[in-house]
Amino acid sequence: MVQSTWMPALNDLAGALFLLTAVGLVVVRQVQACLAVFVLESVLLGASALILGTALGTPDLLAVGLITIGVKAILLPWLLRRTVSGEIYTHRELSQLINVPASLLIALGLTVAAYLIAGPLLSHQTEFVRVNLPIGLAGLLLGAFTLVTRREAVPQLIGLLAMENGAFLAGVSIAPGLPLIAELAASFDVLVIVLVMGILTQAIHEHVGTTDIVHLVERGDEGHA
Amino acid sequence: MDDRILFNIIQALTVLLLSPLVKGLLDRLKERVQSRRGPTIWQPYRDLWKLFSKDEVVSDQSSWIFRAAPYIVFTMPLFVTLLIPALTDYPLFFAFMSDMLGAGFLLALGGFFAALAAVDTTNPYGPMGASRTRMVGFLAEPVFMIVFFTISFVAGSTIPYIVQQQWVTPPSNFFEPGHVLLMIAFLMLLLAETGRIPVDSATGHFELAMIDESKGLEYSGRGAALMKWGGAMKFMVLQLVFLNVLVTPWGLATRASVGAVLLAIPVVFLKIVILLLVLTAIESSLAKLRLFRITEFLGAAFVIATIAMITRVF
Amino acid sequence: MMLLLIPILPLLAALCALLRPRGRIAAAGTIAAAVLAAAGAARTAMLGAAGTTIVAVPGWIACDGLSALVLLLVAAVNVSAAIFSWGYVPARLAPADPAAERRYYINYNLFVSSLLLVPLVLEPALVWIMIELTTLLSVFLVGFDRTRGALEAAWKYVVLTLMGAAIALLGVLLMYWALWTAGGRAFTWDGLVAAAPHMPAGVIQMAFLLVLVGFGAKIGLVPLHTWIPAAYSYAPSPICALLSGAEATAVLYVVLRLVPVAVSVPAVHVSGALLAFGLLSVAVAVFLILQTSDYKRLFAYSTIEHMGIILVAAGLGGALASYGAVAQLLTHSVTKAFCFLAVGSAVIVTNTRDTGSIRGLVRTSPVAGIALLLGGLAIAGAPPFAVFLSEFAIFRAGVSEGHAVVVALLAACVIVGFVAIMVHVNRMVFGSPTGASGRPRLPAACVVALAAAVVPVVALGLYVPRPVFELLSEAARWIGR
Repeated sequence: MVQSTWMPALNDLAGALFLLTAVGLVVVRQVQACLAVFVLESVLLGASALILGTALGTPDLLAVGLITIGVKAILLPWLLRRTVSGEIYTHRELSQLINVPASLLIALGLTVAAYLIAGPLLSHQTEFVRVNLPIGLAGLLLGAFTLVTRREAVPQLIGLLAMENGAFLAGVSIAPGLPLIAELAASFDVLVIVLVMGILTQAIHEHVGTTDIVHLVERGDEGHA
Repeated sequence: MDDRILFNIIQALTVLLLSPLVKGLLDRLKERVQSRRGPTIWQPYRDLWKLFSKDEVVSDQSSWIFRAAPYIVFTMPLFVTLLIPALTDYPLFFAFMSDMLGAGFLLALGGFFAALAAVDTTNPYGPMGASRTRMVGFLAEPVFMIVFFTISFVAGSTIPYIVQQQWVTPPSNFFEPGHVLLMIAFLMLLLAETGRIPVDSATGHFELAMIDESKGLEYSGRGAALMKWGGAMKFMVLQLVFLNVLVTPWGLATRASVGAVLLAIPVVFLKIVILLLVLTAIESSLAKLRLFRITEFLGAAFVIATIAMITRVF
Repeated sequence: MMLLLIPILPLLAALCALLRPRGRIAAAGTIAAAVLAAAGAARTAMLGAAGTTIVAVPGWIACDGLSALVLLLVAAVNVSAAIFSWGYVPARLAPADPAAERRYYINYNLFVSSLLLVPLVLEPALVWIMIELTTLLSVFLVGFDRTRGALEAAWKYVVLTLMGAAIALLGVLLMYWALWTAGGRAFTWDGLVAAAPHMPAGVIQMAFLLVLVGFGAKIGLVPLHTWIPAAYSYAPSPICALLSGAEATAVLYVVLRLVPVAVSVPAVHVSGALLAFGLLSVAVAVFLILQTSDYKRLFAYSTIEHMGIILVAAGLGGALASYGAVAQLLTHSVTKAFCFLAVGSAVIVTNTRDTGSIRGLVRTSPVAGIALLLGGLAIAGAPPFAVFLSEFAIFRAGVSEGHAVVVALLAACVIVGFVAIMVHVNRMVFGSPTGASGRPRLPAACVVALAAAVVPVVALGLYVPRPVFELLSEAARWIGR
């Protein structure tokens, strides 16, 4: 059947491009590019959900795919632009704690780690799980890496959302029957995250002057203020 | 058997005669996209004709390398053509003489001699460009290796003809994550090895910024013609490898008849034209990278190729 | 249906604060809602102690013994924090600023409402969403001051916590996968335990670890605890009480819910991970207590220490250790709330967070001084107080099960922690007072809150009433299977 061989193939394509965008998030240099790569990643996540929904015949997954694309690719950038003023986007270049070639190698290591960890769980699983679970886990790890190596607020937020993208990519393949309420609530939750963190970013920008947050590792007990 | 030798010769002739046309087409397309008229697509032929009829001026400080390099650069791509599926998807007479690694070695040999020749002159721009070329080449080597190894690992062989079958049967294999990522990595390699944007500007005349073009700076007359032609042929050969082995392993002659092989020529040419359109789009929308950003570009290609390998291994 | 009323009450108080009333009605409404909610929680706990499970929405919202315990703890801490806020907000946070006070109470009630929902929801995915909500609703409370430090602290809090939540999300999804593979259909706590014997071991192992590390960020487990010092420094003291006493308790409850699931699956070994993380957290926390110079952070590190102790107890396994774990959960919650209220009083009176610059607190303000001293003693584990009993129960359980090494290490850390806390507290409370006279007086509401909060701390150390004992046993029974 054309359907049964093409659906896994298309899902493979979506998964490969998802992995590419996850690595891309680690190395982009500009805020707008970071946001664009994230939107692309979310669209690929939605595409994977749609493909799985068609292949497995689960209308819930189709709804999930559409909601994902609607929320993360359309609403989220709009919301971010509303809550975080344009000044933040004028500071073009993002700082990196680790330079790009080293970041790329670490990203590679994380991908290998994801495949190694997910490997033992993949025996006797469908083609969809074999692709989505390792790549989803890699997306989670790469999002965390992005979060840790950036100093500005907006890329950290995007790294966080990318982590959830990775978890969901794995989730649509291993938990396709998860109640729709949970998926809807999770999407709503993403919007609330962006709202809250956007307002916080704006507050930081107003009170502190930049959104260059000191990196997240506490350098010893810094007494009082 | 005779047929096969004949087909081999037809293949080599095709590459020999069509490569200037390919180059002319690309130049014209780029100029068009920038809203200029550009030279005619037959211009490279005219250039070659003109150069062959001119005298050669050779510096008396140079050695035999300088004189030998153009011939080596000219013949290497022809040798490689014998090994790859250019027009047919069944192996031809010389196909098993070497595999993809050998093909890479032959092309590198040409580049090696060109770089040496550039250093051989006492023109200061020559070594500058040569050292930069070596840097790009040095960074691109691991990517080549990983790409070749992954392809070979997947197909179980390093012979291009066998590898090519892997992606076609069944058709859904085309979309495998490993394959898609390999295509992207190889495209980035293609841009780097043939000196196109974003790695290098092929049409610029600013010597301080040249990487690939500076190799042919000192040549005149017949030497210059051979270097240009050799460069065009190397470009076409790499395109053929990219297209016929990785991206679109279709449209090649499947039957062993002269008619089928000749029919394959326009089909392959069509594929090349489409690739040229893609390349034009890429070149016109990106800016040339600063020199030290090239490491990041090639590093990204390396990572993509390695991830492609990882997705296949597990 | 009555069950749902408990989290709705604070929402009503938030609405009341939103409608811009005159005077201190917002604060009063908060206290009223807190007291009513606590009454409801107490009644639920009585039923829970008897072994009944109250069901509000079948399959989605219900409350058994363990949930009732956590609900009661959250509600109790809420009462004392709400009363304390009545005095704290005008004195420290927003002197003569009704808009800020309104903002505080709206945020506060929303936060409490989400906390109260966590133990009531049955489905792990929805619980995950509730926990995300608790983080999001407390961000602006942590950064309430709007100073640079506070905002950075709030940012660190939200980023690290949500990062952990994303990791835990993958864990929850893996749990669902394991449930589906095992043939179970109801994705609830009970459903998971029922299907546990048939679940694939590798999946559950990874799922449990992900949930432990992910939610560990919120609790304060060692790798991801780095948000705690800054956040606790800058957050207002009643909010610190809520963070330590209620939020950490609720999140730890979720981890404890998953322990029997992981233990029932054949070939899965989670006790090692629990013991390792727990001991590491205790050790690091004790070290941090030794070298801190900010007494708000001191008690924050103490929270990390106690969370580690509870995890060690959960890792030891067996009925005795499970009882010790839930008992420690109870005693830590009430005691830490009292501690932070004492800290808040000290901050009001001395206007500084630095341990080194406070001396002779008991002379400056007897109430604050005595409260701080009692709080320090209680949380460090001194005998007439509640924490001592639960810690002792854990040690006894460990020794009787044969894990002598673990117990020895734990006891050593706890003793060092005791000494460290007492050194700091003693230096602050006794001696001759520093600074000029004219210190702010402690508001009456704060004194009332302190008095209310100290009662269980002392009482439970002397005598464990029968209903409480039954509730604890019921909760332990669920964990210890």
